[in-house]
Amino acid sequence: MNITIRVFGRYKTVAGTEFVQLTIPEGNTLRNVVDAFVKKYPTVEKDKKFMMVSKNKTYTSFDTPISEGDEITISPPVVSGG
Amino acid sequence: MLVKEFGEKGQEILSTKQVVLIGGGGLGSNSANLLVRMGIGSITIIDNDVVDSTNLHRTSLFTEDDVGKSKAMVLQERLQAINSEVHVTGIKRVVIKDNIDALARNASVILDGTDSMQLRFLINDVAIKRDIPWVYAGVYETVGMVMGILPKKAPCLQCISQEIPAQNPEETPVLGSLPATIAAIQCNETIKLLLGKPLAGLIIYDVWKQCFETMDIKRNPDCQACGKAKWSFP
Repeated sequence: MNITIRVFGRYKTVAGTEFVQLTIPEGNTLRNVVDAFVKKYPTVEKDKKFMMVSKNKTYTSFDTPISEGDEITISPPVVSGG
Repeated sequence: MLVKEFGEKGQEILSTKQVVLIGGGGLGSNSANLLVRMGIGSITIIDNDVVDSTNLHRTSLFTEDDVGKSKAMVLQERLQAINSEVHVTGIKRVVIKDNIDALARNASVILDGTDSMQLRFLINDVAIKRDIPWVYAGVYETVGMVMGILPKKAPCLQCISQEIPAQNPEETPVLGSLPATIAAIQCNETIKLLLGKPLAGLIIYDVWKQCFETMDIKRNPDCQACGKAKWSFP
C-alpha cells in the first residue's frame, strides 16, 4: 500500500517536507506505518515507542488498522522538561 | 478588564478560581507569575526542590540569592508581593500517588510545571477521576508543547501517548527563553478553560521556525485512562 502521511515538529525537518510518501510493504496497521517511517528516516528510531500517531484526527494505538484514504499523522513524543 | 472578550465578568470569574500548580521551575514559575498578575483567586505551588543556579536562566522570579532555598516558598513570597489580593500558598513536598488527591481535589484547574512524565500521567489520572481540568506543558531544547485537557470532553494525555516515556536522568536541556513562551501559552489555555472557551488542542511550538502547529484532535475512545478508567498509577 502506498500512503501519504503528515508529520509534525522536528519530523518535518528530518523529512524535509510536511507530507511524506511511504510504501507499506506488508500489514495494515499504524505500526506498519511507523515501521516504514522509521525505515525511511532511521534517525527517528529512538522515538519509535513513544511517537504520537493519529488516524483521522484521533490519536490511537499502533495496532489500529488503516485503510487507503485515512488521514494519518506522526508527531514526535510529548516533551518532558519543565 | 478592557479586553472585550474578557471584560469585567472574565476578571470576576478568574478571581474565584483556584489553581494548583505542580512544579515551580522554568514553566511553573513563569505561569504562576502571569496568573497572579492577572488576578487569579488563589494559587498553590507544590515543589520539593530548591533553587539551583542552573535554573536561573529560564526563570523570571528567582535570583542568585535564592540558590538553595525552597522554590515553593520563594515563589510564595515573591508572588504575594506582586499581588496581595491573590491567596498564594507554597508547599514544599514531593507529589506522589498517596498525596496528589488531597493536594489537588479543590482545584479549579491543575497546571503542569513538572519535569517528570510519570508525574504528568499521575496528574492525568487524578484529573480524570476528579473531573478537574488540567493543562499539560513541556519543554525540551527548543520545542515546547501545551495541551489543555478537559476530562472526558477533550483528549487526555493518555489519549495521545503510546507509553509513558522514561524519565531522562540528566538535566533537561532547555533554551532559556523557551519556558516563558510556553508558560504564556499555558496560561492562555488556562484562562480559556476557566472561562469556558474552546481549547486549541495540542499546540507545538518550535523556536527555530518561530511557528506554532495546532493539532485539532479527538478523544481516543479506547484510551486506557479517560475511556476505560485503567489508571497509570492505580
